[in-house]
Amino acid sequence: MSILEVQDLRKTFTRGFSRRKTEAVRGISFSVEPGQIFGFLGPNGAGKTTTIKILMGLIFPTAGRVSVLGAPAGDRAAKARLGYLPENPYFYDYLSAPELLDMVGRIHGLDRGARRKRVGELIERVGLEHAGKRPLRSFSKGMLQRCGLAQALVGDPELVVLDEPMSGLDPLGRKEVRDLILELRDRGKTVFFCTHILADASMLCDRVSFIVRGELKDTGPLGELLSPKVHSVDVVWRAPSQDADAVRTALRERAGEHETTSEGEVLRTTDPDAAQDFVRAVVERGGSIVSVHPHRQSLEELFVSEANADADPDQARTDDKGGRDVA
Amino acid sequence: MSPFGQSLARVWAVALNTFREAMRNRVLAVLLLFAVGLMAFSLVLGELSLHEEVRVIKDLGLAGISFVGILIALFLGVNLLSKELDRKTVFFVIPKPLHRWEFLLGKFVGLAVTLALLTGLMAVVLAIFVVSNGGTHGVAMLRAEILVLLELLLLTTVAMLFSSFSSPYLSAMFTGALWIIGRNTPELSAFAGGKLDGSPLGTLLGVIASAVPDFHLFYISGGNLEGNIVSIHEGFVSWAYVAQAAGYAGLYGAACLLLAVALFARRDFT
Repeated sequence: MSILEVQDLRKTFTRGFSRRKTEAVRGISFSVEPGQIFGFLGPNGAGKTTTIKILMGLIFPTAGRVSVLGAPAGDRAAKARLGYLPENPYFYDYLSAPELLDMVGRIHGLDRGARRKRVGELIERVGLEHAGKRPLRSFSKGMLQRCGLAQALVGDPELVVLDEPMSGLDPLGRKEVRDLILELRDRGKTVFFCTHILADASMLCDRVSFIVRGELKDTGPLGELLSPKVHSVDVVWRAPSQDADAVRTALRERAGEHETTSEGEVLRTTDPDAAQDFVRAVVERGGSIVSVHPHRQSLEELFVSEANADADPDQARTDDKGGRDVA
Repeated sequence: MSPFGQSLARVWAVALNTFREAMRNRVLAVLLLFAVGLMAFSLVLGELSLHEEVRVIKDLGLAGISFVGILIALFLGVNLLSKELDRKTVFFVIPKPLHRWEFLLGKFVGLAVTLALLTGLMAVVLAIFVVSNGGTHGVAMLRAEILVLLELLLLTTVAMLFSSFSSPYLSAMFTGALWIIGRNTPELSAFAGGKLDGSPLGTLLGVIASAVPDFHLFYISGGNLEGNIVSIHEGFVSWAYVAQAAGYAGLYGAACLLLAVALFARRDFT
């Protein structure tokens, strides 16, 4: 059974005195299987956070069906089995991190001993021991994000929903969050996260969905969505110490783009066979190969192509909160 | 633990957090100091009276407790839910395993505990002032202070009802207006049943007087009750009256909370 199931989900907001309607989510369907890391990707204002808010029972759908851990969204028993990190988390800033986690532990029904143990473990796990009893209002954005991750894990959830979990973190913090997400999967948990940082998504996700302007564009395993075809090959090489100029001149006459970088000479070609011949020629002339790097379609390229495919100038205008205005 | 016990534990978790928030709020400390200052000022006024120091201290002290209590209940009550929305903490707490009504009830319980503690604290300070001036605090004062607390709790439920669907400014305006009208229900009823009796305006005033929360019920000292002057100095209301007022506050407050729960249950947190 799917951990998360969304069928023909729609959300239309009505704003202002003019009752202007904005379609934020327009009939999306997808499912998330147990034990997966599922990336929900899309540009700003695409409808990611609106979808997550519906899944978390924060807003109600206009139409469609949502099932979270086999129950309707907002079901208390289902919420006990999930952990959620909101985007740009705002917590009770007069509390310290242990107080906040203790409060969440109480809501989860943990007794005093279990709460104390769990709070200690999580504070250590996210690296907030040094914060002590400082109130959250004195925390940096990165520290708040760590605290947010800790509170999402208090109930030892089966499903962890993370809205932009890397937001505000430095490279070290991002790596720690990536490690945490992978660790959660290794422990059999399901992770559903939305992000527009594609490097993180490509490193972590088993499956992804692209949402653009409230519509789902593609869903599937990353390996299937990305084209396996090699677009181009970069060959980085160095000329031999003897007759360097002559060898360099001779090899640069071969087809492809040539340039000089700090690593050495670089040939970029769209023909993999030509690259292979070039490598052979370099070696035959006494040069050395530094690296050979084939370029395939990246997640970023796929993301851009999905977003651009929908960028029709005749489409209805969008407002600042994303979504599409309708009459 | 039984499902009921678990539900209580969740309500208490929210209540405890609300209590902590209130206790760490500096505005509250300032208001509390203001109340104590008002009581201290009553000592000066008492000196100006002709051997009526204790009477002045009691009257002014009780008025101070009521006034500061109303300000605190209004300030905390209207901010109780709107602050959660403004600061987006609602995005963190609603996805936790608790019902929306448990969250709302927890907020109310937390504020009720805060108000009870603050009223108790101010009452103790007043008692110290009274005793140090040779007077006795007495059971009448205790009844009056309990009535003040009941009024504050009822006002909080009204504030919560308004803040469950409107902005803090509008909630404060609506709640404040209702409190002023509610404190003057005898005058409204007198108008409605006097010269305006039978007229559309008289009927309207009569409906308003019976529909708005009767806050006058809780601040009775110096007023007229069934033809008798009621005063904390002599001839104050009985425990039966306090129980009746508590029943009224309980029923009216529960109705406000139920309505707030119904509105909050279907609200989108965008």
